[in-house]
Amino acid sequence: MKFTIPIGPQHPALKEPISLRMTVEGEVIRDADIRLGYNHRGLEKLAEERTWIQNIYLMERICGICSHSHTTCYVQGVEKLMEIEPPKRGLYIRTLVAELERIHSHLLWLGVAGHEAGFDSFFMYTWRDREVVMDILEMISGNRVHYAMNTIGGVRRDLDDLQVKKILDGLEVLKKRTEYYFKIGANEPTFVARLAGVGYLSKERAMDLCAVGPTARASGVTRDVRKDDPYAAYDETPFDVCTADTCDVLGRTVVRIKELFESYKISEFLLKSLPAGGIAVKAPKRAKPNEVLSRYEAPRGENTHYIKSNGTDKPERLKVRAPTLANYPATVEMLRNGFIADIPLIFAAIDPCICCAERAVELVNARTGEEKALRFSELRKLADERFKNPSLKRNAVWPF
Amino acid sequence: MTDIELMEKLKSFLGDKIVEMSNPGLRRVFMKVDPRNLAAVAVSLKKDLGLWYIAAISGVDVEDSFEILYHFGHDNGSLSVRTRIPKADPHIESISPIVPGAIFYERELQDMFGIIVDHIPDPRPLVVPDDWPAGNYPLRKDWKYERPPEIIPGGKQ
Repeated sequence: MKFTIPIGPQHPALKEPISLRMTVEGEVIRDADIRLGYNHRGLEKLAEERTWIQNIYLMERICGICSHSHTTCYVQGVEKLMEIEPPKRGLYIRTLVAELERIHSHLLWLGVAGHEAGFDSFFMYTWRDREVVMDILEMISGNRVHYAMNTIGGVRRDLDDLQVKKILDGLEVLKKRTEYYFKIGANEPTFVARLAGVGYLSKERAMDLCAVGPTARASGVTRDVRKDDPYAAYDETPFDVCTADTCDVLGRTVVRIKELFESYKISEFLLKSLPAGGIAVKAPKRAKPNEVLSRYEAPRGENTHYIKSNGTDKPERLKVRAPTLANYPATVEMLRNGFIADIPLIFAAIDPCICCAERAVELVNARTGEEKALRFSELRKLADERFKNPSLKRNAVWPF
Repeated sequence: MTDIELMEKLKSFLGDKIVEMSNPGLRRVFMKVDPRNLAAVAVSLKKDLGLWYIAAISGVDVEDSFEILYHFGHDNGSLSVRTRIPKADPHIESISPIVPGAIFYERELQDMFGIIVDHIPDPRPLVVPDDWPAGNYPLRKDWKYERPPEIIPGGKQ
């Protein structure tokens, strides 16, 4: 007997409006459907009626967590259209804020993962330590959320020596704390057991469904726009792409913790080799008719903007594709054959940003609803099979 | 795969299916194809060139036609496949059976431009609400939103 359980669009467990419809057999999810559109704001249409400068502020408000991602993706595209090159120092500061944003976003995600796994001390630790990076961002930009650092042709605020020292001190604290989290993972078998084997997504399926970011990298897909298509200061910055091959929520956690270490490394490098000079160049009001594809590695995955200009001070077309939208088809795949109790964990593991993706989702593939009476022996056989192939990996170890 | 290698490979595998090709910037290749060849091109891109990842599909309203761009990403840049269909008969073949990750982008294209994607596995609306009036396609240039007059119950007329 199959039931369909609606979760959302308004639900105590969801912070943003989205509708998940689970077709379940007992407590096993057989099919999932995602419906979007509860928060569609028509930003792409609105952008066509705003000037290049006004659109920076519009793009900033696509998302409250990766606000710097959308503006950077937008301004670096517009800079290409206007044929201007921001100064080196401006690019370095832009990249630094991008990495600090990744640190705060990944720390936030770790807390959410800890909370969904029932490990609330972990949630409290990570969110307390996240304040360190939030304070750094506030010191640099004056804001905790919408930094408003980007402008066409560079950034809006410079760094002084005292700020550089304070940021380096803050990173030192965060590095120690992150090492501690990494150790917690190794020393806390219940946490590892809760995450291992949940939300399985094979490498082949991740590639078929075009998953992005840590979700794809946890399935062994080595894709990172920072490496594949370097922008801002990434072509001069040494760093590694972090992957895992466990293809489950454990892998996604490990990838994010490793990426934190890489982000600390990148930020330190940027601060220590910060070039002297100006931070922005003056941008023209208009852009010649042209088109550009801008790509950016946001904390959740690749962010893509396609911008077309027509010679006026407004864009002809601005297409935004946020990373969460690209991860929804993979989420449906992960939810399938999981347990109802795993829904929050799996869904949180893609680090969904529903507002970002509200430019676009839905997927149904409900199988035939036939009912069949089973004899006790058959039922028992099925139960035995289920226990031979449990979706929870026993004796999983933390990969050092 | 550098831009030059990519363009050479495209030429050898697709041959006369390419209407035009350009390399406007580092790690950016744009290629125009006929809409009738789109599915064949998508198969070739995935099988022969290994472009499994589609980053986005952009629709653009250009006077009496729609331009559709399929942005593919690879390990060293991107390829955008451009095609153009007339507004009077806006039909395009679905690439979702070949690249399953493209389904949401094609559904968004249907909602926003009124382009009919043929053989799409799941044609339901994606972003517009269930009670959205038929024939309203927000991203077409001639579509304007007019806010309905606000009536406050019990307020002044």
